[in-house]
Amino acid sequence: MDALRYLLILAACVAVTLPLEPVLGARVYRQPRRLLATLVPVVAVFVLWDLIAVARGHWWFSPRYTTGVTVAGLPWEEWLFFVVVPLCALLTFEVLGGGPRLLRRAERAGMLRRARGVPAEEPARRDPATGPDAPRARASAGGRRGR
Amino acid sequence: MAAEYTVAAVAAPVAVVALEFVVLRTGLLRTARYWITVAISLAFMVPVDGWLTRPDATVVHYAEDQISGIRVPWHIPVEDYGFGLALITLTLLLWQRLRPADGGEGRDG
Repeated sequence: MDALRYLLILAACVAVTLPLEPVLGARVYRQPRRLLATLVPVVAVFVLWDLIAVARGHWWFSPRYTTGVTVAGLPWEEWLFFVVVPLCALLTFEVLGGGPRLLRRAERAGMLRRARGVPAEEPARRDPATGPDAPRARASAGGRRGR
Repeated sequence: MAAEYTVAAVAAPVAVVALEFVVLRTGLLRTARYWITVAISLAFMVPVDGWLTRPDATVVHYAEDQISGIRVPWHIPVEDYGFGLALITLTLLLWQRLRPADGGEGRDG
């Protein structure tokens, strides 16, 4: 188990933040191309920093608490670190930006109708094709196609 | 001679901020959403990094002459916060820069 320690710490980070996507509505894993385009430069820069730091003796990794699998001279756990930490930050960021989306979801569920002063006949017009969510659904579909 | 990791840990966030102001220009650093994300991420970094640097089972070792020697809390070198801040900020800036033009989420703040 010792050799898996670093890996398990990273797995815990992924596991803890995973529900942010399906439960709290973050859209990170569901934008794979945008995610990849973000991560590639980040991983490149930080792996470079890491390689220089290791070469200059700033830090080093325990052979006991890593699996021993290395990629370009770094433990593969270290590469994963530069994917996992940005992922956690992005999920957090996206949940924080989801205020309006959560509001719409609550409205659709009828929870906020009275609070928002929507007329009583409003539910009749809540057809997915013509309701207030339709333009937004089209916009996000376009966004997915976009890049 | 200053410890090299200490210098790098200060220089990296400065370089990322410079990248934003000169090249990316997303405006993200002026949003509460960014700062709250950083606060939450760094708060979660403490237990993770604390675990990686714990003295009785150290995963990542640091050369004492390349760090300031300030470790807070527990055994986490203070430099790691500069490293983490640069990592998180660069990620969020690029993500923001790459947001779909018609996604409508850019200014939710």
